[in-house]
Amino acid sequence: IQPPEKPLKSEEWNRLRENFQSPEVFEEVMLNSMIKNNSPIDVAKSLLTQVAQSNGDIAYNLLVKYLALCVQQGQTAEIQDMYDIMKIRFKTLESGAYSLLIKGLSNSDQWKIALSLLEEVKKIMIPSRTCYESCIKAAGRHQEMSLAFELYHEMLSKDLMPTLDILKALFDFSRGMKDAELQKELFGILLHLRENQIYPHKTFMRSIKLWFESIPGGNWRGHLTNIKDSGQCPVCSHQLEDSDLTEEEYNNLRERIIKDVIHGTDTFRKTSPQEFEAFQTFVENRLPFDIVIDGLNVSHIKLKKMQCENLFDAVNYLAKGNTRVLVLGRKHMLSNSSNWRREIMKEMQNKADFFFAENISEDDAFLLYATLQSGKHCKFVTRDFLRDHKACLTDSLTRHLFRKWQRGHQIVNILCKAEKMFLSVLTQQPAFRYDCVVQTTGDTWHIPYKDIFEEKYSYQVPRKWLCIQRKL
Amino acid sequence: MQSANVLLKKIIRCSVLPFAAQHGMNKDLFPLSRTLSLSVCLKQDNSCSPSEKIDLDAWKKVMKSGLQEEVSETVSEPKELSALAAAREILEMWRLAGRSVPENMSDEQLKTFMECPSKSAKKKYLKYLYLKELHKKNDKKKMEEKRERKLATQEQASETDKTKNTSFVCLWASSMDRAYSWRAAQSMVFGQPLVFDMSYENDMSVREVANAVRQLVLSESSNRRSVDPFHIHFCNLKDDSLYRKEFVKHYREAWDKLLITVTDQCYTEIFPKDKLIYLTADSPKVMKTFDHDKVYIIGSMVDKSIKTGVSLARAKRLGLETAALPLEKYLLWNSGAKNLTLDQMMHILLTLKDTGDWKKALEFVPKRKYCGFVSRPVHELKKTLNLINTLKLGKTQQEVQKQFAKNYSKKLTQK
Repeated sequence: IQPPEKPLKSEEWNRLRENFQSPEVFEEVMLNSMIKNNSPIDVAKSLLTQVAQSNGDIAYNLLVKYLALCVQQGQTAEIQDMYDIMKIRFKTLESGAYSLLIKGLSNSDQWKIALSLLEEVKKIMIPSRTCYESCIKAAGRHQEMSLAFELYHEMLSKDLMPTLDILKALFDFSRGMKDAELQKELFGILLHLRENQIYPHKTFMRSIKLWFESIPGGNWRGHLTNIKDSGQCPVCSHQLEDSDLTEEEYNNLRERIIKDVIHGTDTFRKTSPQEFEAFQTFVENRLPFDIVIDGLNVSHIKLKKMQCENLFDAVNYLAKGNTRVLVLGRKHMLSNSSNWRREIMKEMQNKADFFFAENISEDDAFLLYATLQSGKHCKFVTRDFLRDHKACLTDSLTRHLFRKWQRGHQIVNILCKAEKMFLSVLTQQPAFRYDCVVQTTGDTWHIPYKDIFEEKYSYQVPRKWLCIQRKL
Repeated sequence: MQSANVLLKKIIRCSVLPFAAQHGMNKDLFPLSRTLSLSVCLKQDNSCSPSEKIDLDAWKKVMKSGLQEEVSETVSEPKELSALAAAREILEMWRLAGRSVPENMSDEQLKTFMECPSKSAKKKYLKYLYLKELHKKNDKKKMEEKRERKLATQEQASETDKTKNTSFVCLWASSMDRAYSWRAAQSMVFGQPLVFDMSYENDMSVREVANAVRQLVLSESSNRRSVDPFHIHFCNLKDDSLYRKEFVKHYREAWDKLLITVTDQCYTEIFPKDKLIYLTADSPKVMKTFDHDKVYIIGSMVDKSIKTGVSLARAKRLGLETAALPLEKYLLWNSGAKNLTLDQMMHILLTLKDTGDWKKALEFVPKRKYCGFVSRPVHELKKTLNLINTLKLGKTQQEVQKQFAKNYSKKLTQK
């Protein structure tokens, strides 16, 4: 239903209600539609007046909806009035009303009330990120940076991931301030981005840049740039961190893969202890490999071709020179069938090592194990994103490590479009040589950023960078 | 009279109270001035011409004024509240805000609510309770209507004919029960065993266990009512398990009198290994015929979070043969997981045992999960399925696939 444009009198509201199909929810639906259409609050007021006159009371949900309308339009005086009404009317409120009041009041000169409301919310539950966002922004707006950071740390301690808006606000409000403590806090935020592999968006990046350049006596200068494939920054010619894991990280990841992905809750779910042991001895005896291929995945690259031919092309392409190749497959590939010709399989086995798992076992787990066991130089070939295996890892830190390792070591086969008609040539997608994460050397900062706020798949990394260096 | 009073109070509340306050009127004086103020109010009403502005803040006065009494009530209450009472209060506010919150909650439920690890878990639990309450209410309403209708028809019936001449005493329910029990007892001696594996408690949440037991109760009852029942074995059922607790909740005293075998032993200890076949949807082998000499095992597991391969892993560990129902072969599968509920499995196995007819047996697969029985070659049916999808989605299957492939390769090149 379309809300009216002007305030109506009681009788007029009554008439509208009678024409509405379910009169008992008329007010609710009407207020919802007012929120959607952003109607003037006077219209809503006239409706509430009508309700108050006919019922002598206004239900809580209607009040909250009216409050939402006021907050949406930034009617601070009205929000304060609503706060008074709610306070005397109800002993406690629920989360929706609290967050609306916090959002509304934090924009007024009564912003301290918002803080006290936040305290009240904390008593009954963990406040939402947006509640914190309103309070932090309010504190920042009134130059109470220490309070803002206190709230920020409180969020982190409650395992709430601060929104990018909060982080951006902290940079914005600290602009031009000369305070060593504050600087340390903001560097802390940048390290938080690094640790959690968060990439700022363009406007946030601009806030960071402006803040750096505004530090009195800091002499910081920022430039936007693209990093070369070699990992060198064209502006300051600094070499970015490489994407290799440290020894400790690498060992940690390998252990977790064996523990969480291969064994999990029950080794029998993905393989069997005998089979895994057999695979382990097989790998130990032939180490190290340079490339591990997921045979079944690669064999499906071209649907029109026989599966073993696809695999044959891949093995031929990769097993040149001294490259040691391991192909993982399942036992059914050995039975001579229309898709798996015995002669071709035989020929392939001369060029590469093969391991055939049971038909009901998961070969991906073996793929990960063999690659990790071979060492840091070893890469693996599959089009699979391996998301389900990543999901088996129990903590987010290891998942990040896995993603980073995957970025550096997975080769995704794609067919060259030009040569598609003639040959099935595999092109290796260059695995990233540098690590795409916020990084610093003290005198320089390199911050990758996204062009647009949303448009990025989680497996993609941004190619644009902000380079900040200190001119001494 | 009372309603007239309420109306009066309302009118006074909204228009007179501010007036009274302005003139320094005491609240105690109020009853005396009632008649007077009403006339004032009426007069105001008359003077209000249609062109005059509407008082937009009148409702605020109402909201603020109606409060004095209520506030004094709340103040007298003890300030410090227990955690439970506080939670109750929040729930009440949520309910007022129109969220799906049950009206009544026991202390036990409230505790479970507070122990939920996250906000979304809390929300889900509340919604579950809310829906349960709603269903209960609706059922009650329906039952009452039914009873009334029944009473009405009975009255009519008693008026029309007095007595019927029958040679049987009307004792249907109990005599049927006796017959069923007799059959079940026979099956305990001569019947083909059917094993329910009760070793999945650690893989399930409390609610999943409750659901599993409910399905088992249904299975048991349909088995009892069948012409040639199975001899049901509940294996790996520990005495202190949640399963058992739930069973006792359902069956009460009847639990000990059930004509089934309950044991904490594993099926491998009771039956020879080569006779056992573990039924699991993940099995690579597809069941062709029902074998009357084998012992089929069904895992008593409800997995809402789709834990693939759990029961297959169990069979692999014990080195048992596995089998899956030939759903793909006989049904044109549409959507939904291939794992069926325990009572559906029971129905299917009972029908197979009696008739050996797959078509009849697979009638018990929920209709929403498949489009039809495979009577023509599968590719022909796939065509009709595509047609259905085209009509439904406005897109052909191939287009969808092409779109998917395109997106997929795009993603890869972008990487």
